Amino acid sequence: MRAPAIRGLGVLSGQGPGSGPAPIWTLPRPERPGDRFRRATRECLLALAAVDAMLEDGRAPREAIAGERTALLYVTAAAYGASNREFIERRGGVVHFAYTAPAVVPAEVAIEFGVTGAYGILIGGAPSTLRAIEQAARLLDEDRCDRALLLAVEIFEECGDLYARHRRYTRWPLVETAACLWLERGQGELRFQSSRGGKPAGPARRGGERFAAGPLADLREWLDRGATGPLELSGRWRDEHARLGWSTVRSHARGSAA
Amino acid sequence: MATPERVAIAAAGVVTPIGADLEAFWSALVTGVSGISQIERFPVADLKVQRGGEVKKLGRIKDWCGVSDCRATRLLIAAADDLCAQTGFRPLPLDPARVAVVVGTALGGVEEGERALAGDHPRRRFREALYDGPGDRLARWLGARGPVITVSTACASGATALGAAADLLRRDEADAVVAGGYDALCRFVLRGFNALRSLTPDEVRPFDRRRSGLLLGEAGALALLVRERDLRGPRLGTVLGYGSASDGFHIAAPEPEGRGLERAIRAALADARVSPRDVDFVSAHGTATLLNDRIETAALKRALGPRAHEVPVNSIKGGLGHTMGAAAALEAFMCLLSAQRGLIPPTLHLEEPDPECDLDYVPGRARAARPRIMLSTSMGFGGCNGALVLEAA
Repeated sequence: MRAPAIRGLGVLSGQGPGSGPAPIWTLPRPERPGDRFRRATRECLLALAAVDAMLEDGRAPREAIAGERTALLYVTAAAYGASNREFIERRGGVVHFAYTAPAVVPAEVAIEFGVTGAYGILIGGAPSTLRAIEQAARLLDEDRCDRALLLAVEIFEECGDLYARHRRYTRWPLVETAACLWLERGQGELRFQSSRGGKPAGPARRGGERFAAGPLADLREWLDRGATGPLELSGRWRDEHARLGWSTVRSHARGSAA
Repeated sequence: MATPERVAIAAAGVVTPIGADLEAFWSALVTGVSGISQIERFPVADLKVQRGGEVKKLGRIKDWCGVSDCRATRLLIAAADDLCAQTGFRPLPLDPARVAVVVGTALGGVEEGERALAGDHPRRRFREALYDGPGDRLARWLGARGPVITVSTACASGATALGAAADLLRRDEADAVVAGGYDALCRFVLRGFNALRSLTPDEVRPFDRRRSGLLLGEAGALALLVRERDLRGPRLGTVLGYGSASDGFHIAAPEPEGRGLERAIRAALADARVSPRDVDFVSAHGTATLLNDRIETAALKRALGPRAHEVPVNSIKGGLGHTMGAAAALEAFMCLLSAQRGLIPPTLHLEEPDPECDLDYVPGRARAARPRIMLSTSMGFGGCNGALVLEAA
């Protein structure tokens, strides 16, 4: 499949060191003017902030991503956990219930930035994100959109005590991350591979676990290094291992060498 | 442009409030059986609306040994058991690494989260509360070792899952995909919809002028999808196309003109390479909320043009309730069974048509017809719109 070009990438990353049995590097709740956002959840506001960061990275106005030729793909393993817990424990009402749906995070992005094209929402960890990049490349290749946004959000703080019960989540810090990748048609080849087997994956990442947002944080790091040439992103979740290879990366994002 | 690989739905399996397998589901649809009842599985005394489409019998399985007691997982596995009974798909007759699972859900294992937070085995249940847990458990039950994907486009999830499954086969990532949708009724969602005041104390009356809201239901609905050229044996039909579009309007309310649904329908028709004139039957989302049915009618008229007035359009939510992540998959199976059996199930409880909903909504009783090309539409929270185009076998 033809590899997409990177037009912009915004990554907001939690800061350490955190404390407790499952140290969490948290992201603060972003401020956003407007009555509409008064009750918006932290994960929604972080998603919007990630899109802002992506636009800044791509030096583009918000109008550049509006319309029905923009596809929006959202991936998360667990960001809905905070809203679900809030609704369960505080017996939240009408407005809060709506925010428990994973679909509401990309919906806030679609509303705020006028994105009305094809969409998809995958629930899972890093392999789902790599699969979503491939899906975005295919949408571009098949001319179903002119640009594709890939949004990944993971937050942990609200369920920190629950993560702390599981050893697999306590070996590395859980790093809250909100990221958005803007893809357009590019050149070169994109290869996605996935396999299942072996023991279920625990966090195995230097610098912390970011679930679905991990590959986009890795990509940001790669771009920031000014790296060139082939790129391989990889990820694990449950017993799935996935890899995504870009033969060449054409990027207009900040820090890009290309 | 090359003709896309044709993907067949070889068979389907379900567990629903109106029938614990596909045949019982179909019989109940055509005879107008309602599966709406007082909810018994969890406390509802404090809720205004206490009825829904609750599954009273979880299929044929007597011994759940080794299967988690997560309701969502069991709905999925009960549907898979029905599918396997028809297809002999367990143990898997092909390389497990080439068998994929794609499921759609609005709620995942959220009830496990409720129970964990109430102190009921919190460590185990928290792990199962992740929305991709039931799909993972289904893959283990089947012995599938290929991709396992969970999609969550709210109440359009079942359509998204079938579309994604067809894509996996077209890309040769798998030789067979077990795909569909599920969701369980639980306090979490019933409290939420009670708070939204979307639930009706009356019957669910899609497209009726007296309609006053929806009732929720639970179900599991799974199909076996394979490339048509690989298929040996009968099939229910073919997935011709899938389309999606977001409203970009409101987190919980549909866009008042239905422009997002219209775009999704147009995208699905384009993907299927058929024109509106080819469509013979529409399975509507038809939730029986005041807004949904009016908006959907308008979107169908714009997307299908004059053809919208010429074809039957039904909604099966009157008898099932809104089964959320399972809804679109059940509706797709209903379409294919309609074509196979030559009968279109009626829209239950539609007695006084709303003048603003002026299409042919198949009121009263099942209608003799044998559609060839069918369109199934879905709308969900967050402005998720999905459409499937199916072809009869």
